[in-house]
Amino acid sequence: MAGLELLSDQGYRLDGRKATELRKVQARTSVFAQADGSAYLEQGNTKALAVVYGPHETRGSRSKSLHDRAVINCQFSMATFSTAERKRRPHGDRKSSEMSLHLKQTFEAAVLTELYPRSQIDIYVKILQADGGNYSACVNAATLALVDAGIPMRDYVCACTAGFVEDTPLADLCHAEESGGGTSLALALLPRSGNIALLQMDARLHQDHLDALIEAAMTACKGLSKVLDDVVRQHLEEVSVLTRD
Amino acid sequence: MLKSKTFVKKTRAGGVLKIVREHYLRDDIWCGSEVCKECKDEAPVLQEDACIESNLCSYPHYLIPDTNVLLHQIDILEHTLIRNVIILQTVLQEVRHRSAPVYKRIKDAIHEKEKHFYTFTNEHHRETFIEREPGESANDRNDRAIRVAAKWYADHLTKNTNGGSLKVVLLTDDRANKEKAEQYGLTVYRCEEYIKSLIGNPELVDRLALKPDDQNEIIGSKLLFPEHLPLSRIQSGIKNGGLLQGTFHANRDNYLEGTVFINREGEDINEVLLQGLQNLNRAVHQDVVAVELFPKERWVAPSSVVLQDDSPNDEDAEEDETENKLKGVPPDSSVLKPTGRVVGVIKRNWRPYCGMLSQSMIKEATRHLFTPADRRIPRIRIETRQAANLAGQRIMVAIDGWPKNSRYPNGHFVKNLGTAGDKETETEVLLLEHDVPHLPFSPAVLSFLPKMPWSITEEDMKVRADLRHLCVCSVDPPGCTDIDDALHCRELENGNLEVGVHIADVSHFIRPGNALDQEAASRGTTVYLCGKRIDMVPELLSSNLCSLRSNVERLAFSCIWEMNHNAEIIKTRFTKSVINSKASLTYAEAQMKIDDTTMNDDITKSLRGLNRLAKILKGRRTEKGALTLSSPEVRFHIDSETHDPIDLQTKELKETNSMVEEFMLLANISVAQKIYDEFSECALLRKHPSPPPSNYDILIKAAKSKDLDIHTDSAKALADSLNNATVRNFPYFNTLLRILATRCMMQAVYFCSGMDSDFHHYGLASPIYTHFTSPIRRYADIIVHRLLAVAINADSTYPELMDKHKQSSLCNNLNYRHKMAQYAQRASVAFHTQLFFKNKGIINEEGFILFVRKNAIIILIPKFGMEGTVFFENKDKPSPRLKFDSEGPTLEVEEHTFHMFDKVKVTISVDASNIQHQRIRMALIEPVIPGVSVPVPESEPVAKKAKLDC
Amino acid sequence: MSPMKLCVPGERLCSTEDCIPGNGTYLRHGSIFASLAGYVLRKNEGEELPVISVVRETEAQLLPDVGAIVTCKVTSINPRFAKVHILYVGSTPLKDRFRGTIRREDVRATEKDKVETYKSFRPGDIVLAKVISLGDVQSNYLLTTAENELGVVVAHSEAGAQMVPISWCEMQCPRTHAKEFRKVARVQPEYLQA
Repeated sequence: MAGLELLSDQGYRLDGRKATELRKVQARTSVFAQADGSAYLEQGNTKALAVVYGPHETRGSRSKSLHDRAVINCQFSMATFSTAERKRRPHGDRKSSEMSLHLKQTFEAAVLTELYPRSQIDIYVKILQADGGNYSACVNAATLALVDAGIPMRDYVCACTAGFVEDTPLADLCHAEESGGGTSLALALLPRSGNIALLQMDARLHQDHLDALIEAAMTACKGLSKVLDDVVRQHLEEVSVLTRD
Repeated sequence: MLKSKTFVKKTRAGGVLKIVREHYLRDDIWCGSEVCKECKDEAPVLQEDACIESNLCSYPHYLIPDTNVLLHQIDILEHTLIRNVIILQTVLQEVRHRSAPVYKRIKDAIHEKEKHFYTFTNEHHRETFIEREPGESANDRNDRAIRVAAKWYADHLTKNTNGGSLKVVLLTDDRANKEKAEQYGLTVYRCEEYIKSLIGNPELVDRLALKPDDQNEIIGSKLLFPEHLPLSRIQSGIKNGGLLQGTFHANRDNYLEGTVFINREGEDINEVLLQGLQNLNRAVHQDVVAVELFPKERWVAPSSVVLQDDSPNDEDAEEDETENKLKGVPPDSSVLKPTGRVVGVIKRNWRPYCGMLSQSMIKEATRHLFTPADRRIPRIRIETRQAANLAGQRIMVAIDGWPKNSRYPNGHFVKNLGTAGDKETETEVLLLEHDVPHLPFSPAVLSFLPKMPWSITEEDMKVRADLRHLCVCSVDPPGCTDIDDALHCRELENGNLEVGVHIADVSHFIRPGNALDQEAASRGTTVYLCGKRIDMVPELLSSNLCSLRSNVERLAFSCIWEMNHNAEIIKTRFTKSVINSKASLTYAEAQMKIDDTTMNDDITKSLRGLNRLAKILKGRRTEKGALTLSSPEVRFHIDSETHDPIDLQTKELKETNSMVEEFMLLANISVAQKIYDEFSECALLRKHPSPPPSNYDILIKAAKSKDLDIHTDSAKALADSLNNATVRNFPYFNTLLRILATRCMMQAVYFCSGMDSDFHHYGLASPIYTHFTSPIRRYADIIVHRLLAVAINADSTYPELMDKHKQSSLCNNLNYRHKMAQYAQRASVAFHTQLFFKNKGIINEEGFILFVRKNAIIILIPKFGMEGTVFFENKDKPSPRLKFDSEGPTLEVEEHTFHMFDKVKVTISVDASNIQHQRIRMALIEPVIPGVSVPVPESEPVAKKAKLDC
Repeated sequence: MSPMKLCVPGERLCSTEDCIPGNGTYLRHGSIFASLAGYVLRKNEGEELPVISVVRETEAQLLPDVGAIVTCKVTSINPRFAKVHILYVGSTPLKDRFRGTIRREDVRATEKDKVETYKSFRPGDIVLAKVISLGDVQSNYLLTTAENELGVVVAHSEAGAQMVPISWCEMQCPRTHAKEFRKVARVQPEYLQA
């Protein structure tokens, strides 16, 4: 029994994409009426829902608030039905906490927090179906939700995963490709300036390959940013049409 | 367009998983044909005029084979005549799933540009993707996908080529599929009728593999093997412990016996004996089988009988009498081994075999028996029309299947190698049988060689130590052109000695990853046959640029020690360097220089210093328990005109051999330590596991027969007892004992330090060891060079070097190649020995008994360093009385008892009755036993021999 | 006044020489970038450079800024200060309530030490106040009502009816005609709703 062939000779991956092609991305904003901002994003079969509240007064202990900036509070969780086997512990396990921390760091880089001293912005993300690229989908969904909530940001934050199979970088890995044991790198990028908000990799990679991999991830993120841009503009137009009449 | 593939899988724990995967359909998959105007393919593969001379399809056409055709008829598809074939992705994936070797071969065929094979990704093409209908099985769905793709191709080509004479032909053997395809409007043929229609090339028909349904005619009537169990039963049997899984190894000497080595560790039973054709149940050497153990009462001992399957005709009746031969001897309960029978085959490991055709008695018959050169493979029945042409030739045959009512497996002819007995052919057979890559280096590989004239550049000099002033010399066998190593020794001002070992810097020329490197890694080692050498790296490097020839500047990798006069190492340093060897000496020349007291030049002083130190080092090693074993190595003197061997000579070891060896060992150990310190996870090392005590049984018994004790608890104990094991008036005894000891040893292997924890080298009594000193002829040394270069910051790493899994699989390949090279070398020596004796006629020599068996004795002739068997049971003579005692072991023939190490006199001749297995026949002269021994032959007139010499 | 051009966060609008950054934009490397998704609005302010800002339909949360007039509701009182919840900033309702404090000395401009909070506010009153400080880690927003226009706007009497202001320190219940002390805001009559 041979393992799955991640890249065929003709250049096609398991699901028929070429090495640099992204999965189908669909998104909608303002799905939640109660929240300040919300968005639902599908990247292939990975579905993420992001909800933003704020800026509001710091909840809990007053000491957590910063005198000159807003505090960004993120919580990441996966639905128990999101993976192939039912997840026993959706919150509070180590991976979720680590993801939450990464999201927080990513958005602290992008949101103009100086405008809201002593307040708190909450971002809640939930994965409804996990098929690889969880972190990327979260970041993209949260970006849309923040834009929807009207919180000022420097730029979009787009994220994408990239992997390596025998000298070819692959963009946007699905679950089978991630768990195949190869390297996988997650990159969160501010596309217009090309600044990297977060770069994460849990594998062993030789130095020579790193540049190619980052290049591939950056190109993928820029492609993704176009899609997100279209969604936002479309939504703005819809809303303006409605309110104008 | 996005579709989704959903299927349900069972997990190992018994749960159920639903897997959902995306499946994208594309519009940009081209058809690959030169002719097509619609597809914007930049590099179309399929040709416009795709004509093969066939009386069925006289128009240009492309072939589409289905899965079973691809799996079974791979030999035909690999033939150069078959071109312009479309391999569908569905078919390719199924092949990958079912048979990895066929998958590899079809991929190689696809890569060959001249064959114009195109892979069409039909699963992702929007128009040819189909979903499984409810109630349709997976196989039916795949067949339907193949039909839909073929139809699409037919329509697409007709639409987009004007004229539209280019057609598509589907090849399938499945009747149902064929009918449906015809209904669908496709041109479809069965593989057999298509191949037979290729009137221009009838030899393709021979390559047709016979399929199970077609084999109704080719079966015997009597013999029935028990049915093999289906895979599901086997798996459940293994799970609940009723059946055992293992690899089947046939017994080379006895075709009715075999052993299955059980894979699982920690089991008390790791070998199961199988005796008798019924119990062997069609298992072929190296298949993975499932065995069922017999209850203890039915366990038998391995037979010490030597049996060959010599039956001239393809009949089944022989089997019963041979079974009786085995059962005749009452089992000795102490050596009973677990016995069982094969109930099913899990995986077949068939490959094409070399051998010869034994023609059938019937002249017009097309079915013949093929006897493989490898004695562990059973004979194969093939169907061919060219029997007359193939009579005296060496051919290659592949096995197709073994139906349960057939005495022999069925197969088909693949290739003709040449006349049997002919030196070229035999060498070719030898190399093929031992899987030694020996084709000439491809242009791609040669393109990475440096351009001549080559010289050392300024940049090279900058990063290297300049040691050209040192008095370096090399000592090698006569006629050696690939000089790997050179040594020097000189006195320092502080009274210590500086000793240097300089090894050819091959890693400078062979950069990682390129075609030259990959080819060398695949070959693994240089194979030295008698009179021929299969190089691992092209000759430009091995004999010229890398070889440390005298009086030329060469790049080297040096290991320099500062030692005191007592051979204790004070400092070690490694550096890349440039040297200028002052002399390339042979062992004999070097010895002469050392011994000649009148010579006092630098080279001689250096040699004397090295010699002295070497002796001290050797003494120290022996104290630690290093073993000095013997093997009867033999060298041939090849006649320069006929290239036939004139004389055999045993290799003599001089002091200088030992001197070079000591320093090479020291270098290897120093380098091993250094690379392990630097890279604990991925250092390539060599280990020699200590043998299990049971391996020593034969040695202990042999020594006991002369009332001597051998202690095997540690290497030192063994070395000491071997040194003390002498018998008065029998000087050769010690050598014989050492030869036996060699047979008890395990094989030394390469391994990756991150994957193993036991590093000990038993034979050299060293805690760590590697190969560093021969990069020209061993690939492992090149890897060690690269690691050492990184360790001293003379080079950079690359990904594969640091990956311990890749290194581990590289080690496995190197070990395999090394083993095969050794077997090939031995086989080459055996072949040349036979050639030598054929020319000589019958000669008589003295020898010693090495092993005693139930019906034969195995004799070692020290003069020629070869072994032969004296059988006591011959077909045409009445058998003498035989009594075998396994304690001694001794064999009593009539009145005389043979013990191990008895001296005998025998005649040596070549039995050329079987061209394929020409055997050295030995017959007993002394001790004289009536009815058994043969008289002393007339000695050859000396005059004849003289003529040969000139 | 409103060319309806869409913009998204991170989009470069113009350079600093052409405009002054306004709401919803930020400055970087000499150029003005949008930080909100909405419409670009260019407003001309006389001779100075026009102000460029990004406008959204649903206004983002405004935080109470120093000097802003806020409408709050009193939650508890204490001899030293009164705690309030800020409901509106200017005329924009807040989705969340912010906490604020009105210290005793900030209730009135005159006679600060003679103030009794019990006579100035009661829990449940709606008060107009001004933000004087964002506060520090320990305290909330600090507000003041020390102006004529600031103070209680709507209050309910003990009987439950909405009271009518009589003077700057008293209000009367229409039902029971009882008077109660409050620090009343002098709101223009037309803004009063019955």
